[in-house]
Amino acid sequence: MVSAFEFVPAIAVLPLVSFVVALAFGKWMPKKGALAGIFATAGSLLLSIWTVLTVAGILGSETAYHEEIWQFATGIGTFDLHLGVFVDPLSSLMLLIVSLISLLVFVFSLGYMNDENETGLPRYYASLSLFSFSMLAFVFADNILMAFMFFELVGLCSFLLIGFWFREDAPPSAAKKAFLVTRFGDFFFLIGVVGIFATFGTGLFVTEAGFPAMAEQAISGEMPGTVADFLEPLGMGAQGWFTILGLLVLGGVVGKSAQFPLHTWLPDAMEGPTPVSALIHAATMVAAGVYLVARMYGFYLLTPTTMGIIALIGGFTALFAATMGVVKQELKQVLAYSTISQYGYMMLALGSGGYVAAVFHLTTHAVFKALLFLGAGSVIIAMHHNENMWDMGGLKEKMPVTYWTFLSGSLALAGIFPFAGFWSKDEVLYEALIHGLGDPVILVAWAMGLLAVFLTGFYTFRMVFLTFHGEPRTDDAEDPHGVRWNVKLPLGVLGVLAATLGFINMVPVAKLTGAHIDFLHKWLVGSEIVNAEFLTGLHVYEDLLPYESAYIAGGEVPTLLISAALSLGLALAGVGLAYRLYAVPEPVEHTKKLGGLRTLLMHNYYQDEYQVWLAEGVTLPLARVADTFDQGIIDGVVNGISSVSLFSGDRIRRIQTGVVSNYAALLTIGLALLLIAFGIVGGWF
Amino acid sequence: MLVELLIVFALMAAGLVLLAPDEYAGQFAAVLSLVPVGVSLWMYSVFDGTGNALLSGGQPAFETMASWITLGPYAINWHVGLDGVSMPLIVLTTILTTLAIVSAWTPIDERESQFYGLVLFMQAALIGVFSALDFLLWFVFWEAVLVPMYFLIGVWGGPRRKYAAIKFFVYTNVASLVMFVGFFTLVFGLGDSISTLGLPAIAQALNAGQLGSVAGFSPDVIKLAAFVALFFGFAVKVPVVPFHTWLPDAHVEAPTPVSVLLAGVLLKMGTYALLRFNFTMLADIARANATYIAIFAVVSVIYGALLALAQQDLKRIVAYSSISSMGYVILGLIAFTPHGVGGATFQMVSHGLISGLMFMAVGVIYNETHTRMIGDMSGMADRMPVTAGVFVAAAFGYMGLPLMSGFAAEVLVFMGAFESTTIPAAPLFTGIAMFGIVIVAGYLLRAMQKTLFGPFRLETDYDIGRAPLQDVAPLFVLLALVIALGVAPDLFYRMIQDAVFEVTALGLGGGA
Amino acid sequence: MVPAEYYLLLSAAMFCIGLFGILTRRNALLFLMSVELMLNAASINFVAFSLQWGNLTGQVFTLFLMALAAAEVAIGIGIILVLYRNFADIDVTKPTTMRW
Repeated sequence: MVSAFEFVPAIAVLPLVSFVVALAFGKWMPKKGALAGIFATAGSLLLSIWTVLTVAGILGSETAYHEEIWQFATGIGTFDLHLGVFVDPLSSLMLLIVSLISLLVFVFSLGYMNDENETGLPRYYASLSLFSFSMLAFVFADNILMAFMFFELVGLCSFLLIGFWFREDAPPSAAKKAFLVTRFGDFFFLIGVVGIFATFGTGLFVTEAGFPAMAEQAISGEMPGTVADFLEPLGMGAQGWFTILGLLVLGGVVGKSAQFPLHTWLPDAMEGPTPVSALIHAATMVAAGVYLVARMYGFYLLTPTTMGIIALIGGFTALFAATMGVVKQELKQVLAYSTISQYGYMMLALGSGGYVAAVFHLTTHAVFKALLFLGAGSVIIAMHHNENMWDMGGLKEKMPVTYWTFLSGSLALAGIFPFAGFWSKDEVLYEALIHGLGDPVILVAWAMGLLAVFLTGFYTFRMVFLTFHGEPRTDDAEDPHGVRWNVKLPLGVLGVLAATLGFINMVPVAKLTGAHIDFLHKWLVGSEIVNAEFLTGLHVYEDLLPYESAYIAGGEVPTLLISAALSLGLALAGVGLAYRLYAVPEPVEHTKKLGGLRTLLMHNYYQDEYQVWLAEGVTLPLARVADTFDQGIIDGVVNGISSVSLFSGDRIRRIQTGVVSNYAALLTIGLALLLIAFGIVGGWF
Repeated sequence: MLVELLIVFALMAAGLVLLAPDEYAGQFAAVLSLVPVGVSLWMYSVFDGTGNALLSGGQPAFETMASWITLGPYAINWHVGLDGVSMPLIVLTTILTTLAIVSAWTPIDERESQFYGLVLFMQAALIGVFSALDFLLWFVFWEAVLVPMYFLIGVWGGPRRKYAAIKFFVYTNVASLVMFVGFFTLVFGLGDSISTLGLPAIAQALNAGQLGSVAGFSPDVIKLAAFVALFFGFAVKVPVVPFHTWLPDAHVEAPTPVSVLLAGVLLKMGTYALLRFNFTMLADIARANATYIAIFAVVSVIYGALLALAQQDLKRIVAYSSISSMGYVILGLIAFTPHGVGGATFQMVSHGLISGLMFMAVGVIYNETHTRMIGDMSGMADRMPVTAGVFVAAAFGYMGLPLMSGFAAEVLVFMGAFESTTIPAAPLFTGIAMFGIVIVAGYLLRAMQKTLFGPFRLETDYDIGRAPLQDVAPLFVLLALVIALGVAPDLFYRMIQDAVFEVTALGLGGGA
Repeated sequence: MVPAEYYLLLSAAMFCIGLFGILTRRNALLFLMSVELMLNAASINFVAFSLQWGNLTGQVFTLFLMALAAAEVAIGIGIILVLYRNFADIDVTKPTTMRW
């Protein structure tokens, strides 16, 4: 029987084909290339499902797969570079998420783009397909170079899609910013990649020959030869050097996953079409960063310093972004900041050792954030592309499907029981808490994450109430533009999932009842081969975990309950506050009450300003100074040499008077001087 | 005899085109130049050289040797052959020549037959430079390249063409002179240990430590002096900061097809020669002075990129970014690791393609708008969608987008440089040089945003429309090549590795 | 036999007279005559050394020189004629157009 694993490359290649088809022939196709994308991603989804089933062990005994598929660059006397496929529980799960969301986004785009008579659709669908291709290939990458390559391609696609409406001023600018800021992160990532290859001679994520395994050996004292050869002239210890490498790679993660301080591109990226935002935020670009940390988790676990920094960045970003989300007036802006904040939670989970929690939150977030963005897209269609929430209101009755699904997504985002977000966020905070009790850094990160729960509940429902409740505040809200099945279908699918997806890993229920219903946990534990050969199973990570678990109130179950109660309570408090302030027929702005803080928040803590200043106030003047220096000094010297030659030539040629007698006299004097010189040298005098 | 065939055919084609009437010269030249493309691709497919042509283990492919002149104690031979370093460069030369000729159809509208004749003559000389294995022969070709280039800039160039052409000619000629003197110091130092001016003989003699003293100076001093002279001679050509100022002027004034060849192939002569002479013949000196050379490389990368950031003229931007890209080549070469030197060689080819692509894209826009100033236009993607699309692809290629050749080249250079034990504090140097990838993204994205995107606006009086097919077709060919090499660098990289592997072991304790 | 030194002195004297003429005269004809004097000084040297060493080469050279001098005078006078036609004078300091 053919194995699904042989078709894994096709999961990515199908969208690539659709990219080529849409770009080359989209103009002449019905729906301008959308169908190609839909068929391709549907194919990817089917293959992903097959792959997941195979990994689950249902279709045979082979439950993980690693194969080098393309020799990229051959080295003689040194390492080779290759592209390869690696499938394990983590990557197969991610393949499933990405292909599902991509498919739904394609379908939704029929409503958002085609029905709205946009131009340039072949370009749109081609970019979207390329986006799916890059992300899928990134997901099954077996080495860090390949991961970097597709990580960068994801960046390209985001550039193309954010700048889709290139005839206006703002989208190209936002696209440039998105690419440049993530590029800045990728600069560090690339140094990390290069450093990993130089240190270990390989970039493989998995097996004993992979770099996490080699790093573990190096730290535990059995230094592999290549590592020793590299570290010796460098004069650094293994632990310190690996921390540096880990932090360098983290640079790319911070850029792509929009963590502080490289989060500034993401709110601007809202200039792109809304389905693209859904794709970027839920399943592709932003998820790539967090996924990368999960992929090379075995390496990060070796360096507690890096883990602490990841947790701290995550916790801080979760809180920091949530505060900014509170004052935004545009629907998509609120969602953008919520994305930053939610990815902060995933980073917090990863940094505090909650591998399962992070993957869990990544999964649920992919679903409910895609749902929220598509819902927002539906609202935006209805509102004739006005995104300001203060111009909306009362849409609840007019667009029930959108309202109920959006509500489902919002409850998940806010973390209200029993929606998906509650389970995953609760697990993140629980993991951070039990590991934080023994480690103050993690505890600080946990506290920030916990505080953000309240804000999340608040801004989420502020958004819901302002958009859907109360009285319509404009004519557009009075008479919204209708949406068709191609919008409602993806919303419906995601709405159901957002409500139910949490059930795949109900850890509190499992702990309380003793029933083994923590399916995701079991999934990530993986089979024998995943743990023993590929070293990416949960058992491997648990062995490496640098934290001790501690509990309050005397045990695991009470701690669990306290943690769940805390986060649910805070979330409900946030929702309640939003209800009090905004669930009225004629809501008014309350942001003035924040005083000076409001200005700070509206300006996003002046993060954009200082980054723009770094680019335009420091780098550009520096470039101009360099240009002046180059034209003035360096080229000046070159031109100076030529001027001196020309000038001296001009002067010396004046000896040529044209008078024959002068020439004769010069000849005579020259002869006389020569004779005298010979005389002196020859000793005649 | 295939190399001779290439050279002689190109020369004959040059003569024929020179005689052809102006109306058909372009088409005629393009058709004729397809023959070298075919021949070189066929040579590539049957390439059987092993090792480095200059070193003892190497056996170049298509090697021919015939007695030419006897100069005193030295036999000067017609000696040509290709190894893994020169073969890709020959393919690059022939392909770029054809594409440059096609891209010249629109912008060149006077003295066409002379223009195409000179281009083909230059092609012959370039093939000679990359295949010659005898110093004097090589030098003749090296100098012969300058002559057509001088006229191509000086006759068909922009408003300041005379200044640019003379600057280019004088600058590179002075450099050649210094290089020539430096090389002959070595030849005299080798004395009786060589009987020909063949590059392999000289390289092997130098690496065997047979250099004697000249005029009372010890071999070490001679080597160092020769190294400096050669380095200066080639650094001008590359160009390495601070010997670069001829390049932007030459590029800005040169017509687009000439810029394509200048950036695409001529600059590679410098790095090719550096690899052949400084880093193969005098590897021990190069190693001993790795710090300084690495500083030259890093300064070229960062400073060139910063300069590009300050420019308003699209062509100047690409010109300065060439300086930056060539800095990577120097960094890779001095690393003396297989991926470093191999990546540097791959970067020569890759940059040839990508910078050619970039210049052509700028040229297509210029043909339609008659301006290259960023401030004079915006929203060009609205009127020229295909050109804009290729421009975007080219720019991302330049930024080192994966699956395009620039990425493979750069990442290999970085890996090679990072693990280098020759450069002190290699990770630090590499890390600083890598910041170039951020600046390059900065200026290219800025240029794209301002010219291609936004509302349409054009400050010149020309009616612009879609570019004709003949302008756009070469772009697609180049783009396809860039992507092919980006997906499968091994097409060239395998033979490059084979040829440079020996180089990386040179100069380690042996000899001086 | 007269020693070579005397011939050499004679030729040196003639050479100096010629040189003096070139440096001081402005008339082109006198100029030409001075040049002839210097040329003949050289011829005397040739003959003198030829006599000294008993080698005829020097004398052969002198014969050549005489032929050369004749040709030179022909050209020289031609130049002077052109000079006169262009500048209406044969003062050698007048025509200065052949400078930078």
